[in-house]
Amino acid sequence: MLRSLLRVMVVTCCSAAAARADDSAKDLLAGDRPIEQVVDHYVDAALKAANVRPAPQADDATIMRRLSLDLVGHIPALSETADFLAASATDKKVKLVDRLLAAPSFARHQAQEFFTFLQASDDPRRAARRTPLFEYLLAGFRENRGWDRMFRDMMLPDEKDKAMRGAGEFLKSRVRDTNRLTIDASVVFLGVNVSCAQCHDHPHVSAWTQDHFYGMKSFFARSFDSGGFVAERDFGFVKYIPNKGKEKVAPVMFLTGKALDVPGLKEPSKEERKKEQERLDQGKKKKTPPAPPQFSLRAKLVETALAPGENDFFARSIVNRVWHRLFGRGLVMPLDQMHIENQASHPQLLQWLARDLVAHKYDLKRLIRGLVLSNAYARGSRWESGDMPPEQLFAVSRLRALTPMQMAVSLKVATTDPMSLTADGKELDKRLEGIERSSEGRASLFTQPGDNFQVSVSEALLFTNNSNLQRELLEGGGTLVTRLKQEPDNARRSDLAVRTVLSRPARAEEIQAISDYLQRRGDRVEAACQQIVWALLTSAEFRFNH
Amino acid sequence: MRKRFCGSGEHVISRRGFLGTMAAGGVAACADMTAIQALAAPEISAELRRNQKRCILLWLAGGASQLETWDPKPGAVTGGPFQAIQTSVPGIHISELMPRMARRLKDTAIIRSLNTRNADHNSAAEMMMRGRPREAGLNYPDLGAVLSRELGQESSPVPDYVAFYFATEGRNMAPSNPGFLGARHGAMDLYTSMIPENIRRNGISEQDHIERADLRGTLSRGFERGRSSLTIDSHSHAYSRVRGLMSSEALFDIGREPQRIRDMYGPTLFGQQTLAARRLVEAGVPFVRVGRAWWDSHGHNFETHQEMVPELDQVMCTLLDDLEQRGLLESTLVITLAEFGRTPNINSQLGRDHFASAWSCSLSGCGIRGGSVYGRSDATGQRVADGEINAARLFATIYRALGINHRKNYHVGARPIPLTDPGTEPIREVLA
Repeated sequence: MLRSLLRVMVVTCCSAAAARADDSAKDLLAGDRPIEQVVDHYVDAALKAANVRPAPQADDATIMRRLSLDLVGHIPALSETADFLAASATDKKVKLVDRLLAAPSFARHQAQEFFTFLQASDDPRRAARRTPLFEYLLAGFRENRGWDRMFRDMMLPDEKDKAMRGAGEFLKSRVRDTNRLTIDASVVFLGVNVSCAQCHDHPHVSAWTQDHFYGMKSFFARSFDSGGFVAERDFGFVKYIPNKGKEKVAPVMFLTGKALDVPGLKEPSKEERKKEQERLDQGKKKKTPPAPPQFSLRAKLVETALAPGENDFFARSIVNRVWHRLFGRGLVMPLDQMHIENQASHPQLLQWLARDLVAHKYDLKRLIRGLVLSNAYARGSRWESGDMPPEQLFAVSRLRALTPMQMAVSLKVATTDPMSLTADGKELDKRLEGIERSSEGRASLFTQPGDNFQVSVSEALLFTNNSNLQRELLEGGGTLVTRLKQEPDNARRSDLAVRTVLSRPARAEEIQAISDYLQRRGDRVEAACQQIVWALLTSAEFRFNH
Repeated sequence: MRKRFCGSGEHVISRRGFLGTMAAGGVAACADMTAIQALAAPEISAELRRNQKRCILLWLAGGASQLETWDPKPGAVTGGPFQAIQTSVPGIHISELMPRMARRLKDTAIIRSLNTRNADHNSAAEMMMRGRPREAGLNYPDLGAVLSRELGQESSPVPDYVAFYFATEGRNMAPSNPGFLGARHGAMDLYTSMIPENIRRNGISEQDHIERADLRGTLSRGFERGRSSLTIDSHSHAYSRVRGLMSSEALFDIGREPQRIRDMYGPTLFGQQTLAARRLVEAGVPFVRVGRAWWDSHGHNFETHQEMVPELDQVMCTLLDDLEQRGLLESTLVITLAEFGRTPNINSQLGRDHFASAWSCSLSGCGIRGGSVYGRSDATGQRVADGEINAARLFATIYRALGINHRKNYHVGARPIPLTDPGTEPIREVLA
């Protein structure tokens, strides 16, 4: 009880400090400072204010594994870890980051991650690869398209262009349910869940009224499914009955409260209706996308969301999401509650990063690079003594459960004969792409982790007793197990197994424990090797990005 | 705080019972070994065993007809060919297809006034499994997951939520869903085999199986030091439950029941699975759903019900008798429920279609005033004439019958999510 009380006090102190900092938000650090320095400046300031000394930087092997999982989506191959540990250059981490950012698997992993979050409430287990949306995202990350451009593509897809078809999936899968489209688009792109305001003015955010929900809904109210394409009318508006008062026409209003002057907020005349129907029917007949309306409300939404002075929601939301992915916690929590009454843990930092992102054309790769080069990102995940400090201080690296794809690919990387995964970039990437492709089925066995994710007993049972998984990972040629079997010395076997599966050198007591285990099974070497690899794969250390 | 879990599979019932009384609903760790050992005495354990609440849901997938079960309308234009028969409670009649339940109504409350306004299989099934319609951006857990959370225990060697659903029709319409409560409260789903997946040792000796798990624990523990969180604790916890769950395999084996009992439940799959459900709740599993499909009688409604209702009658009646004889009926709630009922109007295929405006379900056993009827549909069954209730009120009633505060909040981030929406009242008339 006392502990939690103390914790609350610390939190209160921090947020008080943060609130003060926000008052002087005009004095942000200069825009030309490197992102990583700015991150550390603000994070360290909050730590100092809370009188917390952060955990030391993680060791090289841990950093290597963390970067590999975050940037390219799987644990490093044995040879990659070995090279990194052996390198002595002082800038070896920067070099590693730049190598990973340039790898083809970087674009694939980002596309995978964005695919998952864009799907929002859809079935998260749906295989991503080979879907049009994944293809679109992959192309986008390959050429490092700005996030503003991707947003525009997804809101205003040019369905005539084959390469752009995937961008339309976001709308297409939701357009039949305008409420859902409104809520999902606001959550995904603007970091705000307006669903509370559907039925009543927001209970906690006094500035949010039902107009905010119905105002956002107005932007989508003219969109509909027309023969498999997303079409938009020139007319149509949203009417609703507020809690208090009579039915009204919702204003076309952005989250900032900016209302737009919009033509067509009235019932169309017969003539107008006829003309519009002709425009839409034409497309339907030819099975081509319908011509766009003269005045597109969705285009207005994009324009408004990206306009200077209005773009805070859009920029801060994506910064917060990327931060959340890399740090296991957002600067604002929860991710869909980025409103005025829910302060960021580091308001100036969030503001600086958002400003920087806008100034650099929403370049996500640049943002990611800056964040992972910070000291805050590179801290150890162990808290040696006493209670863990509040999470929002980022004093210690937060454990993040591997996503289904990270898990599925890493399992295969860990159990493949390490000598067959050479460090030669091109060659390795080809192997990895093959592994990724064959891992989607395996990925469907795992659950997408959310905040406060819990590992299920079914997962433990699956690892413990499932014969297919055992066959895929531990049996047959070309596996780590075969390699271990060929190694006659138990200590060296143990070390190789730990290095390959856990991506770090083994500790003496681990070599001892594993060697003893092998020793007692001298009559069944293969089974024994399978069992030690199993024990490493199912350890918490493997399950998490730490 | 590092959590420790009791490794021992002994005194299972007493530990679960103890925690059930002391710490229901919380993320209770197996905190005090001495207290638990003290509770191992047989007389206490029996007492606690009686107190732990549990629930069996007989899920009539596809939508059983209220007119051929709980709310017959003989003689009405919509009534169909079957008669109504007098039950053991004067004044209450049910379909003649349910003679056994007619004789054994003393523990059952019939609700005849559900108006749930949704006659689409998918979303209605989702709603009737959750007690609320779907809301964008909120992945609400289903009844089994909520009861796993409220009635299940951290260190339990038995599963907290088991769901049988062998039919392929409708399986994807209401899949088990722990929602925001997380995988810890997910179902052990049985789709094709009476024995759960991955519960049997496979190609490894018993001793290696145990020692391999020990080695896993040793290697994992070094990492877990100084890294406590809900997520990482759930990992070690999941593995610590593996052996217990494997030992619960026998619970699924109805071959261990005397022939006499098996005969009572009958030879059908539904009967066998309901018997397995009884074995499971007896061992302390808080929630079991037995899916019986497919009631969707758009054509030949009367043949379908003539075949399926007597089976339901036999299985349900046997289950209640069996639970009562074991002293478990007081602590076990049996629900019969579907996603909706069927239209009073009989279509040209002699079928009945989807209908959610005036349909029925039943609650029996734990916390329920038996031998009662709540609500009334009009003379032809088209509308609720009296006591209309929705899914939320039904769920509030279920929670109250199980001793759970239906006004309780969960939290998703900072947002409080009530078990049932504010202002929802349970049906006092059917509660004991």
